[in-house]
Amino acid sequence: MADSRVTGYADALFAVAAAEGDLAVVEDELFRFAQALRSDDQLGSTLADQGVPVSRRQQVVEDLLGGKASATTTALVSMVVGAGRTTDLPAIVDALVERSAASRNKSVATVRTAIDLTAEQRNRLASAINTRTGRDVEIRVVIDPTVLGGVVTEIGDDIIDGSVRRRLNQLRESFR
Amino acid sequence: MRIRRNRLLAAPLFALLGIAAFASPAQASGESVGGCMAEVIHEAEEHHGKDHDVLHDEHVQDELEKCFEAPNPILPELNEIVWGGAAFLILFVLMVKKGFPAVKGAMDARAEKIRTDLDAAEQARTDAQAVQADYEERLADAKAEASRLIDEARGAADQVRTDLMARHEAEMAELRARAAADIESSRTQAIADLRAEVAGIALGAAERVVQSSLDTEVQGRLIDAYIDEVAGGNG
Repeated sequence: MADSRVTGYADALFAVAAAEGDLAVVEDELFRFAQALRSDDQLGSTLADQGVPVSRRQQVVEDLLGGKASATTTALVSMVVGAGRTTDLPAIVDALVERSAASRNKSVATVRTAIDLTAEQRNRLASAINTRTGRDVEIRVVIDPTVLGGVVTEIGDDIIDGSVRRRLNQLRESFR
Repeated sequence: MRIRRNRLLAAPLFALLGIAAFASPAQASGESVGGCMAEVIHEAEEHHGKDHDVLHDEHVQDELEKCFEAPNPILPELNEIVWGGAAFLILFVLMVKKGFPAVKGAMDARAEKIRTDLDAAEQARTDAQAVQADYEERLADAKAEASRLIDEARGAADQVRTDLMARHEAEMAELRARAAADIESSRTQAIADLRAEVAGIALGAAERVVQSSLDTEVQGRLIDAYIDEVAGGNG
């Protein structure tokens, strides 16, 4: 999908979530669902399978998010899946998050860790990033067991890698 | 030719003189012993008459005794000499007029032919010598050419052998270098593979140890340390 189309869907989702008045919640739920799609290939392929009827795929979305996410989030995801843009959903959500943060004059910092951060850690990390880069950021945490330990922060094209995985990789490189 | 002709003419004359020189009295009379005796008696009877006893006449007896003297075995009788001489002369004249020119012509022709043959033989010999000289010259040239070709072939063979040896040595050196490079590459690759294998085993073990030791408390401390590093600008 072209960037303009991703941006168009992101703007549409942003507008709907803002109109419904629960932008922060919808944004967070969409972000989590996008991460689930990235990490679960079977889920992604099922929702993107053109051989499965749209109603069946939307039913799968209802079953997954029903009762666990807001009705707005469920409706937005169902709409994207029904439009046949399942494979673009992670990029659309990233654009939505960027769009939402930008509306608050902030950047998005995607943080990968093995365990979730506490609220206090999120605030400290946002403050530390602000101190280091001069940018006001919103923290989006992605639970990634492959990190093993520590944190990997991505702000746009900048990456601050303090993971145990990186250190193990450095150790592996030193053996070569 | 003139000397040979004079000898031919002199030979019959010498033969006639010889015959005349060796002629005896009996033979000169041209009779045999009996004929001689009959002629003596006949002459005596004519001279003395038939009534005269001629056999007891001493003169007749002397003449009869002469008839018993040995006749000349060579000298023919006179008529034979005459006829023979005439025939000889005729034959001689014929020979001089006809035979000798014919014989002379034949001999001249023969001599001319022999001379021509000799000249031809000489020419043939000269030609043969020229051919032989030419042949020997060509043979020498051929031998020289053959020698030159052999030398060239030998030189070419030496050059080819030298080139082949040089190329073979170059190929061998290249093969040795390539083999050495392959061995070195294989050794390096084996060391790298071994190192990677050891590193993989070690890192796998380290990862398992790290995973087992990374409980929630340790994870929290790692996150806090990361935040401090980012804040301090050391990340």
